[in-house]
This record gives sequence, structure tokens and C-alpha cells, in this order.
Amino acid sequence: MIFEQLSGNLLQGVILGGVYGMATMGLSLIFGVLKVVNVGHGAFIMVGAYVALILFQTLGIAPPLAVPVALILGMALGMLFYYTAIKKLLKGPELASLLATFSIGVILEEVCKQLFTSEARGYHWGLDKLDLGFTVLPYSKLIAFGGSILVGLLLYLWFHKTRAGMAMRSVVEDDEGAGVCGINVDWEYALSFSIGIGLTVVSGVLLTMFIPVGINPYMGGSYTLKAFVIAVLGGLASPYGAFFGGLVFGLIENGSYTLFAQIPGLEPFAMTRFFSFVMLLVILLIRPTGLLRTK
Amino acid sequence: MLKVEKLESGYGPMQILWGPDLEVKPGTITSLLGPNGAGKSTLLKTVLGSVPVMGGSVLFEGRDVTSLPTHKKVDLGITLVPEGKHLFKEMTVYENLIMGAYRKEARVHRDESLELIYSLFPILFERKDQKSGTMSGGQQQMVTIGRALMTKPKLIMMDEPSQGLAPKIVMEIFETIEKLKKEIGLTILLVEQNAAALDAADYVYIMHEGVIKAEGNPEEIKNSDEVREAYLGI
Repeated sequence: MIFEQLSGNLLQGVILGGVYGMATMGLSLIFGVLKVVNVGHGAFIMVGAYVALILFQTLGIAPPLAVPVALILGMALGMLFYYTAIKKLLKGPELASLLATFSIGVILEEVCKQLFTSEARGYHWGLDKLDLGFTVLPYSKLIAFGGSILVGLLLYLWFHKTRAGMAMRSVVEDDEGAGVCGINVDWEYALSFSIGIGLTVVSGVLLTMFIPVGINPYMGGSYTLKAFVIAVLGGLASPYGAFFGGLVFGLIENGSYTLFAQIPGLEPFAMTRFFSFVMLLVILLIRPTGLLRTK
Repeated sequence: MLKVEKLESGYGPMQILWGPDLEVKPGTITSLLGPNGAGKSTLLKTVLGSVPVMGGSVLFEGRDVTSLPTHKKVDLGITLVPEGKHLFKEMTVYENLIMGAYRKEARVHRDESLELIYSLFPILFERKDQKSGTMSGGQQQMVTIGRALMTKPKLIMMDEPSQGLAPKIVMEIFETIEKLKKEIGLTILLVEQNAAALDAADYVYIMHEGVIKAEGNPEEIKNSDEVREAYLGI
């Protein structure tokens, strides 16, 4: 019984973890290129959730088809915030960009509150479920998982096989070296911030396919925290590291939930969160470069 | 080819360059020597555009390029072999070289540039699939020079290419620099602390505390006791 439950939960964990990983890639990309920690990360996930919700409820557009809209909106928001705020703060102390991204998050939350009220909303896509016997997987979750893998794969190919992607990678590795090659480093900064935000808003759409309820302006906070743990797991500056970090995190979150639920008197949901952060502390102490970094 | 006039620059409120004048004639090696902290690196970075100009001007082939962004200057044919190499360590040697041919103008000549670099440094061809970060210091310096050559430059500025290398490798690097002048007709602005750079040079500037203290051909510099003792330590 417990094994059946555990294997079911672990499978769910892998699938959720894939989406978590995708939801962290933007954070890692922005940190990798700009060395800016986007504290407002979760607010952009929230924006993506509303994109999926509003398009579905007002126009009847299926959530996967909201992805391109989310990408374009996210990239536009990224460019807007880069040129109005981030660019000027890059050479300042780290606290400056930290406060800026925090403020951007608050602005997004309050704008969304004005537009959509603070009431939690949800949508019902009504897809069928896949019954595996020991666990049941809604197709919407499988599509979200497949979409996350596809996005991760495309990003990998873009980084390694295209001229533009290689240029961005060279900026991650050494911006001074990139400069002497004639790469416009300022533009690469803007582009990576924009792509990072675009990916994050897209991940918001995919996350609603996983959890189509509880969409509200303040839903981002817990995702920001989870993204930090995942990013550290994966080695902070690496988008694919983040993806695998997400898988590991999803497994641990769901696995520990099942095990904590076996102990009488414990509230498993709260324990899961506690456990995640103990894990973060332990990793930071033992392997501050991330579990997946070989260096 | 390159003319620097009364150039002033620095980092934030800290001014480093206090108006040096300097000229690099086409097809020559011009050495800029001076002690640590003299402002030599800052001068190169200001010429390329990564340190903001506070005053004065930079002329390249008669054109005022003072406020042009770095990537536009690379288009015109200026590049830098930066101090401390600044390679893409997680990329292979080949990928590093290819990044040098990023700009459109350089990409057209990509294959012939590669051929030239592999003939100058055969070891880079042998190791083209090796990650650049895992190579020896001398080999890394070859990759850095190769990457700069890939940009199809007219003027290469080199910031202490001998730094941290064994004496034998230093000799090889200087020989290569002379080859680049003689065989390819490149113009080179060579910044060094190593006084061996005197022998390779056609013309020498001595810099100290952000200004040019002396200039002349290598013989004149060598024969000036004052310059030798005060700035070169030889």
C-alpha cells in the first residue's frame, strides 16, 4: 500500500518537477548572464497564470496555445523592465538590483490586483485522465510536462547550435572576452533578461495546467522560494542545471510528503516545505556550487 | 592608423588617464611600457570602448571613433587580446575561435582565418575539440591571440601577453607577434611590463601615472639612463 502510494507520488513528483525545472530556467538564465537575482520571479509566474486563465475564460483558447502569447508578453515585459530599471543598476551594488526586482514583483502584483481583484480563481479545461492503476495522471499534466521538456530542449539547442545562442553563452562565460569578439554585450544583457522573463511567464501557463486553481495576484511568493532552492540544486547559473534541479526537487517534495504522512501527528504539507529548506541549507554548506556542477 | 589625443578616462569618480598622446603607425609594433598601475590597460580598454571616455579623442584611420561602442570598433578592425586571456573556458578551442568571427565582416573570412591560425599554432588544430580551460597557460594565450585574429583585425592591441608564462613560451609569443607584423602586415599595439618587449618594438612609449613620460625608438629608450632606471628597472 505504502509502496504503491510512494511510487505514484514519485511519478507525480517527476512530472511536477519537470514543470518546476522549466519554471526556474528563466531565473538561472538571468542570474547566469547578468548576475542579477530576480526576487520578483514568482510574480512573472503569476502573470503567466493569468494569461492562461484569461485567454481560456474569455476566448476559449486552450492553455497550450497560450504559450506563444505568454512568451511574447514576457519578453516585452523583460525588455521594458530591463531598459527602465535593471540596465542602470548593473554597475551598482547588488542590493540595488535586488530591490529593483523586488519592487517590480510588487508592482506586478498590485497591477494584477487592480485588474483581476485579489480573489483566487481557477479554470476547468476538462481533459481526460490516464489511469495507471497505482496513480491517475490527468492529460493536462502530461502536456505540461511534455511542454516543459520541449522548452528545455529548444533552449539547449539554441544555446549550443545557433550563433545567437553561442553569443549569449560566451557572455555568460566571460563578458570581456565576448566584447573583444565584437559581441554587443549590452544587447546580450537585454536579450537574456527578456528571454529569462519570457520563459518564466511561459512556465506560469504550464503551471496552471498542473494546478488550474488558486490563481491570485499573490500566488508567486511560494514559487520564488521553490525556484531559489531548485536553482541552487542545479548550480544557480545554469538553465539546464535548473531543469534537473527541478526534477530532483519534485521527487523530494512528493516523496517526503508521502513519508511524512505516515508519521502520526505531523502535518505533511508544512513538513515538506520545512524539509525543502533544510535541504537548501545542507547543499549550501556542502556543495555551494550545486549538486550537478562538476567543478 | 591609431591616434590617441589627450585621452582622459577612468572608473567612476577615479580618473586614471590624464591626457596621454600616442600614435600607432600602420604595419608597426608599438610598445607601451610602464610599471603596474600606470594606466596601460585602461588606455587599451578606453580605446576599445569598455571604459568610458572623459575627454580627448581616439582616431582610427583618420576617423573619430571616440564614442563608438566596442562592437562597432571591432567591425572597423580593432581588437584586443585582453590581460588574463578572458577565454570561454567551457567552450572548445574551435568554438572559442569561431566566436572571434562573430561579426558579419569577420564571418566572410572565417575559413581562411582559421587556416592562418592553425598554421601559426599547429597545436590549436590538434586540440581543437579540447575545452580551452583545460589547456596550459601558453596554449591558452595562443587561443586568445587566435580568437583576436578571427575578428579580421587591422590593429591588434595586446595587454601583457607574456604575463605568467615561462620564459621559453614568452619568447615564442614575441616571435609570433613579430610574425604577425612581417607576414600578415598587422599593426600591433603591445602593452608590456616585460622589458623584452623593447626588442620587438619599432617605437616605444613609456607611461606612468596616466601620462606618457617618454617616447622614442627602442635604442633611444634603452640608452636613456633616466627612463631605464625610473620606469623599466633594467
